Parts: sequence; structure tokens; C-alpha cells
Amino acid sequence: MPKLTIDGIEVEIESGMTVLQACEEAGVEIPRFCYHERLSIAGNCRMCLVEIEKMPKLAASCAMPAGEGMVVRTRSEKVRAARQNVMEFQLVNHPLDCPICDQGGECDLQDEAMAYGLGEGRFSEDKHAFEPKYMGPLIKTMMNRCIHCTRCVRFIAEIAGTEEIGAIGRGGATEIITYLQAAVTSELSGNVIDLCPVGALTSRPYAFSARPWELRKTQGIDVMDAVGSNIRIDSRGASVMRILPRNHDDVNEEWLADRSRFIWDGLKSRRLDRPYMRKGGKLVETSWDEALAAVAAKLKSTAAEKIGAIAGDLCAVEEMFALKSLLEELGVTNLDCRQNGAALDPALGRASYLFNASIAGIEAADALIIIGANPRLEAPVLNARIRKRWLAGGFKISVIGERADLTYDYNYLGAGPESLKTIVAGHEAFDGAQRPMVIVGQGAIARPDGAAILSQAARLADAIGAVSADWNGFCVLHEAASRVGGLDVGFVPGTGGGTVADMIKAAGSGALEVLYLLGADEIDMKALGDAFVIYQGSHGDAGAHRADVILPGSAYTEKDGTYVNTEGRVQLGARAVMPPGEAREDWRILRALSGLMDAKLPFDTPEELRDRISDAVPHLEQVDEIAFADSAALKALAGKGGTVASDPFRSGAADHYMGNPIIRASAVMAKCKALHEREEEATGTDA
Amino acid sequence: MKQSVASRAAQIANAMLLKDFVSAFFLAMRYFFKPKPTINYPFEKGPLSPRFRGEHALRRYPNGEERCIACKLCEAVCPALAITIEAGLRQSDNTRRTIRYDIDMTKCIYCGYCQEACPVEAIVLGPNFEFAMETREELFYDKARLLTNGDRWEREIARNIAMDAPYR
Amino acid sequence: MLEFFWTWIWPPLLIAIHSLAVLVVLLVLLAFLLYADRKIWAAVQLRRGPNVVGPWGVFQSFADMLKFVFKEVVIPAGSNKGIYILAPMVTAVLAMSSWAVIPAAEGWAVANLNVGILYIFAISSLEVYGIILGGWASNNKYAFLGALRSAAQMVSYEVSIGFIIVTVLLCAGSLNLTEIVLAQKSSYGLLGWYWLPLFPMFVMFFISGLAETNRPPFDLPEAESELVAGFMTEYGSTPYLLFMLGEYVAILLMSAMTTILFLGGWLPPLDIAPFNWLPGVFWFLLKFCAVFFMFAMVKAFVPRYRYDQLMRLGWKVFLPISLAMVVIVAGVLVGFGWAP
Repeated sequence: MPKLTIDGIEVEIESGMTVLQACEEAGVEIPRFCYHERLSIAGNCRMCLVEIEKMPKLAASCAMPAGEGMVVRTRSEKVRAARQNVMEFQLVNHPLDCPICDQGGECDLQDEAMAYGLGEGRFSEDKHAFEPKYMGPLIKTMMNRCIHCTRCVRFIAEIAGTEEIGAIGRGGATEIITYLQAAVTSELSGNVIDLCPVGALTSRPYAFSARPWELRKTQGIDVMDAVGSNIRIDSRGASVMRILPRNHDDVNEEWLADRSRFIWDGLKSRRLDRPYMRKGGKLVETSWDEALAAVAAKLKSTAAEKIGAIAGDLCAVEEMFALKSLLEELGVTNLDCRQNGAALDPALGRASYLFNASIAGIEAADALIIIGANPRLEAPVLNARIRKRWLAGGFKISVIGERADLTYDYNYLGAGPESLKTIVAGHEAFDGAQRPMVIVGQGAIARPDGAAILSQAARLADAIGAVSADWNGFCVLHEAASRVGGLDVGFVPGTGGGTVADMIKAAGSGALEVLYLLGADEIDMKALGDAFVIYQGSHGDAGAHRADVILPGSAYTEKDGTYVNTEGRVQLGARAVMPPGEAREDWRILRALSGLMDAKLPFDTPEELRDRISDAVPHLEQVDEIAFADSAALKALAGKGGTVASDPFRSGAADHYMGNPIIRASAVMAKCKALHEREEEATGTDA
Repeated sequence: MKQSVASRAAQIANAMLLKDFVSAFFLAMRYFFKPKPTINYPFEKGPLSPRFRGEHALRRYPNGEERCIACKLCEAVCPALAITIEAGLRQSDNTRRTIRYDIDMTKCIYCGYCQEACPVEAIVLGPNFEFAMETREELFYDKARLLTNGDRWEREIARNIAMDAPYR
Repeated sequence: MLEFFWTWIWPPLLIAIHSLAVLVVLLVLLAFLLYADRKIWAAVQLRRGPNVVGPWGVFQSFADMLKFVFKEVVIPAGSNKGIYILAPMVTAVLAMSSWAVIPAAEGWAVANLNVGILYIFAISSLEVYGIILGGWASNNKYAFLGALRSAAQMVSYEVSIGFIIVTVLLCAGSLNLTEIVLAQKSSYGLLGWYWLPLFPMFVMFFISGLAETNRPPFDLPEAESELVAGFMTEYGSTPYLLFMLGEYVAILLMSAMTTILFLGGWLPPLDIAPFNWLPGVFWFLLKFCAVFFMFAMVKAFVPRYRYDQLMRLGWKVFLPISLAMVVIVAGVLVGFGWAP
């Protein structure tokens, strides 16, 4: 525990920290460009120079280990002059194009130039000029502005693990470039835009469209995957202009997957902005009154066992709870939130469907078996966490399922249930592990024999010691943001109720007459036969095309919603903008519908609704906390057994840029998908 | 306060003989024949300072390219919130340009901050002050209108800027 | 047949032609005098005045008239519609009808009434009705207050005007305007006109005339700072034009009356060679214009009276003085045997 004096303030720090970190501990801010907390230290910008007593020259504080008894001065005239000189050098080749630069207003260099800039340049020679480099449809480059901090290079190499961006040339001729100027394919590539301290790397879809000072910032929760990344939704007027990550050390650190970051153009196209009704085989515009009256009449006139409801992947807990309350009032038992048919059941205990180890817990694990999942595509941010743990060393990773490039090395055990059976029988390879993890993906359990596979996975977890008193390494990796919330509130078949597959079958045969789709688009609409389909959702996707009545709901940026992520963390997303046109918040639609049905839901305000939810499911009240599940349930699960088919596990890879209605409506995502397909054609799959 | 009899009598005499009235009449007559300082406005106009802040205009470069680069500084600085800009990528050459540049002239207070904020001297307050309109809608200027203003007044605007340049 | 024409058709036709001629001349004159009024006022204030319509702006009044005529007539929702429309007509018609008896030269009157002066007095007293009706019918408190002020003001000054006229009548010995003018004809020329012997009456008549016609400095009924526009607040378009017309015709009438009663009408200043060659109407117009010039100048250089000052002047200064003067003049006339 060395002690140092920084500007007269004495601080005691952990050993191994750098002087810059020590300064932060002391509350002294050090300007920096290349240094970043989550990246390795480069020490090439020289902005963080400080004066350390008994040292002949100024030291770069980011790279200087803090030692016992150091006396650091950060505000001396010498330091100030040095920083001014560094700043002048940074600006030698940096263009003065702030007015047309998207970083303008949120630029580190701009801010530091205000503090340390000279006000006028003494450099009268021509500035170095570089061609903008192509980096794909997401990153726009303007390499004249680059100050060679190499944050982007380090991020891609260390965090994303794809090593696509590098620096060529030396000195002033250094250029940041992708190999052969190919598009950056990493699914975390958008983060280099945030990391870039200047305007060299900016967001291409967002290019020139807004300024930071005119954006309203709202704290939201991402729903593109089940990680529940914390996001900041920047909106102007009625439209979302961009989405940025928010720091949450236990969830997404400060990273965000591309498909979560660049999704916002999908929020503006293919929107359902008014109610529709099918009249004479065609969907025609109608009023709320008429649409709700038609739905109410249909629900009233149909027997409860002939009504079914399916909740989609993007729903918040609120509307699932509201729909469940309404339909249970009517006696309906055909409820399901597991669109993909995953064999998860809250009756088996909450531990059976959570990522029990928690995302931050990955860093504490020492062995990992991934069963039927591709975390890189299903939860990119979570995959970065696995990679971080892997880089730290001593982390054995094994995979059963599809072979894919996960950005880290692993031991491939096989493609399907047989391999799982083998490893359950002979798990000696994991015997040394104190805290092993088993990640079960949707590819393993979203199949007819999913329950048996889940049971086997639980048995494996039990066998290798993943479930113990202080460690629960049994992890179900979800793909849908709504899934854990839906399972928590019990949006699953009641007594005698059918699952999604049963409902589709019943609808096809005419046994189910009314089907209420709450944002559910991923089921086979053609198989629904003549059933009367009510679609409540935000986008005109598969469900809306099949629907007989469309009730326009809101997307995740347009409502205050509670989401439970794959590890069971309850998070609140705030509304950034109003829903378009006549669309309304989903729970309000259901509340209005209940009023027409003599089954009035007992809440009128969001607060009352949340009170009801926390009455029903107490742990949903604890926002931003994980209610850890009792691991005893896993023992029972392990004992269930069942027969297993021999088909290999698939993974959610194919859906990465097509997975939900918002992504399908996004032109940027379509470009990414096209790019990836080209990539695959060009190089062949990695399998 | 008691007036002396003499002054009271003098006052009455003045009133009866219309002394004030007559002197006022002659004073008025002197003014009647004085040269008139009024400028015969629509036909002759007074001199304007080169810093005069009149109707807005968006200028162009001599090669015809619009100057505005959609940096939005004028929008940010405008104290009356009269300026609305939507920026975007111009497809033809991938440069940053305005898609919309609207000034609500009914809101504008002619402070000239937008001109001060502009890094490329694109938005200027020109010398024209005769832009009264018949309807309110006509005072909601859009980009085309502002560029037309710029084209029409470019000579005067350029001269004014050149005249004011030494003092900046 | 012919006899029928000459007996029954021609005389009224002739009257109509006469009236029409007087009206046309009067209104055209009015247009230019209005223009002159504005020009004079502007000149004193070092402005240019109207100078756009026509050469030097002389057609300004016609442009204004067209503007008023083409504007939409707005009738307030709460107004008494009939009276609201009637009021400006009453004002304009009454003001113009007084002109029937004004002789611009010897024998140049539509009706050479032997009680002409009483006719004028009667008609101009009725004019207050136009204002009262208009102010009341507007259903607007400013208009109503303006009308009340106006009525009180006009009534007050009519009293002293009456006594002033009485002194003139005593001197002239006739109620016929032509004879009043002829009575001023003497070997003293312009010194023999009544303005000099009845100088205080002349001044008081002029001032009362200002008050009677609501001219500045007595334009309290339409005191902009207090009452918006007085009784005319709700008026616009043609009805407003009629009010304006009535007001200015009354001003012209006052100028003409001053000319006739005190300045010898159409008489030349000296009845000698170069002066008496010119027709009488020339001298009448000259004097008339001079009086109007004074009306216009007063507007430019006298500040507006307060309402209580106006009333004090009318009742406590003019009334006793004019009453006293009636007695004095009568006494002098009888005492010296000058009475006609």
C-alpha cells in the first residue's frame, strides 16, 4: 500500500497502480488521450505528463507505476507548459474543422485545447493529409483528425479480439487502417467511435445529423439481446438520434454491441402508428375505439380455452403482466412467452432459467463449458467479458455445439447431445476447477428434447462442481430481452394450457380461435389457420401482416419499462420519445381493453402497475439488483432426465442481424447483414 | 400664494391680447418655412452602417457553392430560438450540409449572434430592411429563400464585410 | 305641358342642381383642404406630410377616400346595428345641409333664407346627435365616454356661440347671411368689418368654433391617449369616412361662418380699383382659406386642453364675457343711436 503526495494531498493506493490512477484517487484530473481504464497502456499521447520530485524529466503519469513516497505535482508551471507544448504538437496536424466534425461539442481534444491550447497556431506549413479509410457501414473515418492514440487498435485487439485495425507507418505518417481497408467485422466495432478522443472515427449512420448539445439524454435499457446493456438514448424532438452505452460495471462495462447501438433507424421505419382492422381480407385503418371494441367483443364471445396469447422477445415486464392479469381474469390458460419453444419452466425453480453466475461472475470463474450457444453473436458484450477472463489466463473453455470463432481459444468437445452425454459421463478434465461454469444456450434447449438437455446440463453442472454453496455456475444464456421477465411473472401455460407449439397447432386445426400476439413475430404465421389474430406491437412485421386487428404499441425507447436480463437483474428503462402517431404504451392499451371487457385491471398509473407487479413478484421491486436463485432447484432439475435426440445443437448465429422486428426494420442492420454474408462467401465459414 | 394686483392684471391683459397665442403662432410659422430634415423615404434612403443588421441571407462562395456547413453554432447561439437546422450528408459529394435551414423572422430579434458565431460567414444579416410581408407564413424563411437573399445582396454584403473587417 | 314643366319640375330640379353644385365644390374643396391641413401640420413639425399620391401628394385625400370605401364594414357584435349605421349618416348629412344657406358671393346661396343664421344654428346643434348615437350604438365604453364628452363640449360652446352671434346680429340688424355681409360694407374697407369692432367676439367665436368642431386643442372626445378614438373607436371603413367628412365639413362651415360674420364675406378689403375687379367669390375663398389656415395652425401649436379646463373656459370665461358683450354692444348701439 504505497503512499504518495499529489499536489499536497496524501493518498494511499493499492500497489500496482499507476501515477495517473493515483491522481484520480486523489481527485486530481489528468488530461489524457491515449490512456483508457479498460485498455492496455500505450503512453503515446504524452498529455498526462506530471512532475515527480527527484526525477530529472516529466513523466507520463499513465505509464509510471506509483511508488512509495513519490511527490507528484500536476499543476506546476513546468507541467502546464509541457502540456501546452504537447497540445501544440497534437494540433500541428489536426485540422481546424470542428464545425463540420461530428465530435464537435463532445471532443476530448476540443476540451483540452480549451484548457491548454495556445489560441493560435505557430505552424505555418501544410498539414499532413490522409485519405479517409473505409471501415464498413458503421464507422466513418476522417483520418486527418487522427492523433494516433491507438485506442481503437487496442480495443479491437484486446476487447473485441478480432485484430482488424492496426497502425502503419511511423511518426507523423502513422495511419490507422483496417487490413486491406476491409470493413470492420467485429460485432463490438461501434465502441471504437466512443473511444476515439477526436473525430477520426465517427458513427456513419449518425453522420452530421445532430449536435450533442441539442440531444435529450435518456437512460434506457437495451433489448436487442438478453444482457440488458445500459444505454443512453439521445433523442431530438420526436426521434431517437443515436444510442450510446452507459457504464455499468456489472453488466456491459462501457461497451455496447453494434446491433444495439445502430438499431435506431429501425425505430423509425415500418412503424405501426395507428390501429388497423382486417375488413374483407384487407387491413384498413381504423380508430382505437373501433379496434378495441372489436377485440373486446371477440374475446368476450370466445370460450376461454379457445383463446391463446404469446408474448414476444422485446416486451417489458409491465405489458406481459398486464396481459397475463387480463387473460387470467377471463380464465385463459394458453399463455406463453417462450416464442422459440425453449424448454424453460419457472416451475423448475428460478435457478433453472437464470445466468446464475452473473455476468460479472464470469471473471471469477476458472473453467467454462458452452453448450449450444455462440455467445459472440447471441450476447456480444457478454462474450467480451468471457474474453476478458480468458485473457487474464487460467481459464479453460470447452464448447459443445457449432464450431465458431468466439475470439478466444477453446477445446471443442462435439456438436450435439452425444458429446454432452460423454462429458457428463467423463468430466475428469474439469475436476481441478473451483468455480466452473456451464453456459446453456438457446440452441440446446429450444428444441423438442430441450427439457432433457437442460436436465443433462444441470447434471453436468452438478457433476463438475459448478453448483456449490458459494458458487452457482449453471448459466442459461438467453437471447430475448423479455424472456426472464416473462418467466418471472409467470407468462407460461397455466393448468391445461398449451405452449407456443401447442397453440400454433391448435390454431391450425381450429381448436384455438383467438390468438393474442404481444409483439410476437418469430412464430410461423402461416400455420395459424383461420384463427382471429390480435397483434399488439410496434413494427409492421410478420405478426402484423397476419393480424386481424392491429393495436399499435410502443418500442422500447418509447415506454418506461422493466426488463430482467439473463442473469436476473431487474432494470428500468426510461421513455426517450413518444410513440409515433396514435400508438400508445402497451400496458395502457391493455388497461383500456380491460375497461371494455368488464374485467377492469386494477391499476391506472405506471406506479400502481409496478406496485401490483412487485406484489405478485416481490424481487422485481429491487431495481438493478440480482435476486439470486436457490440452487437447490438444480438438483431436482438434474434428476429429471429424459430422452434426447441426436441432432446437433444449432446456435442463434443466423439471427444476429435479423433477430427481431426492430432489427429487421433497420436499414443499417441490413447493410451489416449483407456485409457479413459477403464476408462468409469470401472466406468461407470458420467451422 | 397671493398674486400682486399688477401681475394679475398683466396676466389678464396678456390673455385678452392673445400674447402667447400670437407668439406661438409666429414661432410655428418660423418652423413652417424651415427646411425639412425628413428623408423622402421610399425614394431616398438614409445611409446604413456596414454593421447594420437587417434581413438574413445565406452566402455562397464565388464558385457558387453554399458556404453553410451545418455546424449548427448559429442555432445553438440564437437567444430567440428562431433558427432551426437539420443537417445531413449531401449525397453528391458526402459533405456536411443543411437539409433544412429555417429562420422564423417573427421570432428573430436581430441580435446578430448567428453572424458572429458563423465560422464560414455563411449566415449574415444583410443591409435589407424592407421585407415586410402580408402574411405571417411568408416570414418563415427557408433555406432557398435565404440563399436567394444571399445571391441578391451578395455585392452589398461582401462590401460591408470588407469595410468592417479592419475593426474585427 | 311646358308650363307644367316650368312650374312644377324646373324649380326643384334647379334646387337639386344648385345643391349638387355646392356639394361637389364643397367636397372637392374639402379634399384639398384636408390635404392642406396635414401639410401645414407636417410643415410646422418639420415633416414633409403626404407627398406620394399625385404631384406633391395632392391626391392623398382621394386615395384615403378610396381606401376607406373599399374596406370592410365591421359592425361590432354587441352594437345597435341600425343606430350604429345611422349615426355617421346623420353627422355627414347635417353638416352638409348647413351649407345650403352659406353665400359664397352676393346671391350665391342655394337658399337665401331670411333666417339663415338661425337655420345654421339649428342644424349645427343637431350635429351632436350623430356623435351621441354613434358613441352609444357602438356598445363600447370608450366610445360612450367619448360621446358624452363630445356632447357636453358641443352644448357648452353652442351657448357662447349663440351670444356671439347675437352681438353680430345686433350690429347687422338681420338674420339673413347675405345682409349680414352687406351690413359690413363701409368706406373703412377691411377696418369696417366686424372683426375689429367686435374683436373679443371674433376671438371667442374662433375659439368656440374649435371647441364646437372638436378640433385640437379641444379634441377631447377622441383623446387618443385616454379614449382610444372616442366615439369613433368602433368605426371603420365608410361609416368612419362619413364621420370624418361630417367633422371636416363642420370645420369648413365654421371657417365660412367666421368669414361671413366677422371678415366681411365676399367683400374686397378696399373698395378701390384693383381689388374690386376681382369677383367676390375670390375674396370669400381667400378669407375662408385664411381662417382654415388658422384652424390648421392652432392644431399644430396649441397643446390639448384638459377636460375641466375646457369646461371652465366655456362656462366661466366665454359665457359671462359674451353675455356681458351682448349687453355692452346693445347699450353702445342704442346709446349712440347706431342701431340699424
